[in-house]
Amino acid sequence: SSKLSKGLVHQTHPLENSWTFWFDNYSAKSKQADWGSTMRLIYTFTTVEEFWSVYNNIHHPSKLSIGTDLHCFKYNIEPKWEDPVCANGGKWTITYGRGKSDTCWLYTLLAMIGEQFDHGDEICGAVVNVRNRQDKISIWTKNASNEAAQLSIGKQWKEFLDYSDTIGFIFHDDAKKLDRAAKSRYTT
Amino acid sequence: DDKYGTGNMAKKYSRDFLLKFADQFIDLPEGFEVKSDIADVLSNANISSPHLVERDSF
Repeated sequence: SSKLSKGLVHQTHPLENSWTFWFDNYSAKSKQADWGSTMRLIYTFTTVEEFWSVYNNIHHPSKLSIGTDLHCFKYNIEPKWEDPVCANGGKWTITYGRGKSDTCWLYTLLAMIGEQFDHGDEICGAVVNVRNRQDKISIWTKNASNEAAQLSIGKQWKEFLDYSDTIGFIFHDDAKKLDRAAKSRYTT
Repeated sequence: DDKYGTGNMAKKYSRDFLLKFADQFIDLPEGFEVKSDIADVLSNANISSPHLVERDSF
């Protein structure tokens, strides 16, 4: 079937933003590697068609090995606190049982690349963290202090995922200082 | 055509619209390099050998 499709000229659907898939492995990081040094760029996509071509060839969260972080961030924004665009930001997080996040990861990606958020400009990207007991999906944003924008993103995200529990927004600054003791500054 | 939203700038695509393309693009993009350092996240199903990058064959 791939031979057939190559003969056709597809009309492509450009995205508003270009996005980059990255991955990292938490267990590699803990082996004294500098944070971020194990980050690997997978691919930058600019169209709907390219998105599927990549997405369909990378493991979904339930198939990723424990310790993997899979990121999808806007082009030129690195998925780290130190990135200048992320530095003053924060994140909304939803936690799932291990292997239960595939659909929500996809819906999160589709909402972002399809520009379904009213405050999409505030979004840096999303990450899924695959751990022993759970999968965590987070949306990273730029200006944590802009409460109205963060609340709008959190509310819309829950709608897109049909998720009803309360979720919390943590400032990167708090996470840096307090690690797991960081408390949510906003909830919705 | 439902591909563009009502906004005059942003290219907006609904989830349902995007999902229509899910099964049509299953091969890796042209020029995608399957380097060993990202092999862990790739599912093998749709990767055919011409995509594999040989680095030490010269």
